[in-house]
Amino acid sequence: MGYEELFPENDKSGWHANAAKRFASPFVDNFHDRIDVDPIILSNAAVQCGFTIRDFYEKPELGIHCVGYISELFDLLPVTHWFFSLPWVRELGVTLEYKDTLPPVSTGPIMQVADIENLEIISKEDLLKGSTVPLFYNMYDYVAKNLGHTLVPISYGFDICGAGSELIGVEEFIMATFTEQDLAHKLVDTYVGTAINGAELMADKYGFAMLIVGSVLANNDIFADEQIEEFSAKKMGFYVDQCFRRGAGPQIFYHMCGNQETSYKVFKRNLVWSPFTVTHIGYMGQKEFPSDILKQEFQDVSTCMGSVDTKLMINANPKKVYEHAKDSLLKGRDAKKGFILGTSCETPPYTIPGNLLALTRAARDFGTYGTW
Amino acid sequence: MAVSEEVKKTIESRGLKVADIEKLVAEAKASKNMITNGSKFIAKKQMGDMVVYADFNEDGSINSAYGHKMKILDIVMDTSDTEWTYVKTGAKIRKGHTNLSYLGATRSAPSLVDPASGESWLEEYLAAKTIAVAEMLFSQKRA
Repeated sequence: MGYEELFPENDKSGWHANAAKRFASPFVDNFHDRIDVDPIILSNAAVQCGFTIRDFYEKPELGIHCVGYISELFDLLPVTHWFFSLPWVRELGVTLEYKDTLPPVSTGPIMQVADIENLEIISKEDLLKGSTVPLFYNMYDYVAKNLGHTLVPISYGFDICGAGSELIGVEEFIMATFTEQDLAHKLVDTYVGTAINGAELMADKYGFAMLIVGSVLANNDIFADEQIEEFSAKKMGFYVDQCFRRGAGPQIFYHMCGNQETSYKVFKRNLVWSPFTVTHIGYMGQKEFPSDILKQEFQDVSTCMGSVDTKLMINANPKKVYEHAKDSLLKGRDAKKGFILGTSCETPPYTIPGNLLALTRAARDFGTYGTW
Repeated sequence: MAVSEEVKKTIESRGLKVADIEKLVAEAKASKNMITNGSKFIAKKQMGDMVVYADFNEDGSINSAYGHKMKILDIVMDTSDTEWTYVKTGAKIRKGHTNLSYLGATRSAPSLVDPASGESWLEEYLAAKTIAVAEMLFSQKRA
């Protein structure tokens, strides 16, 4: 039995048709219905459908079908996504281990800092023989066949610094950014070059590929702004520029997670902004990144995605989620190029359904663009 | 003007006419309204609903031509120098972003810009790939 037999079809002419118009609205200045809600739902979709976190990651086709199915319940995005934070590292030699309660994690560093000298970007030919490209090809072929109305092929550069650092270990990488800067750059550049080749393979097959790339390890709890600019923002800009040259894009989702208290200022001048760009920043200090500052900094070049703290999503207090969502919406809803209500990062696997409803309820109550 | 068969095919496959591109090149050379990186030139012209570009050499031979339907508006920002120079003024061309409008929506895209004159140019990889897909998505999303 295929996974598609486990799910009823989405309500395509009702829910999906309306959600698709709403999803398009911030990009084409054709406002429809209300501001969209994207809690970056991943393994929570599987949990809500009765599966496990491990199922979500071990069975990508099942996982993405859960996302497509459950999005209808909370009137979320009409498109599907499935990802984990370490694409491309297996091709560079890292072993990933599946866990019951986590996304796949590295079993540990595979080299010393000095070994970075010998690292090489993985070619397109070798990526085709690896695990990441076949995983995404199989999954998007499944989506095209069974959930075609939700298909957006996506290539993940994801956390440029964090993923690359897995090769030598995060602590070693942080040290290397001070003591062995050339090697630290080479490590990140090797990861970026491999991810660019991966994006090209996605574009080769599907004609285009949305790009998701982020700065997570590179945040102000660990690095100064100058390091975040050099090791993350500039690399992210290079990644997108090169992906565009190879036919990927034009959609981009920039996800800056962790504490971006002052570093948020280094991204605008270093990133590439396409007509379909969404910018999302998780935190300022320990608090949600304020939507008014996000709007002020990025509304000239991007659709802005506000944040409700993910910790609230597992707190038995939907009213608090609603109030935080309201605050985010009121501060960001009149962003020049549109606004989306999000959570600071992936909504936790055991997110309380009442809290997801609180996000949607707030978007219905306060999610106009302020100019209707 | 020299136009190889291969280039002719590319130009025609993009819905452009070789004669129009030859005229664009001739006008650009006469007016110096073009940018150069020292080895080749790019010139642009609004033709109907399209902004059309010619990529050509000093002797007038054409390397490529491309276009986009998105209308060029104002420069959003400029961030760093490039190898390009605006022949008309001698100004150094900067890497930047420019607002483009299409079907009533205004969005920015990477571009080559001259902040002094307010002029922007899109390179071929952007116009033929990124912006072409963006225009298709705009049409779908506006439907």
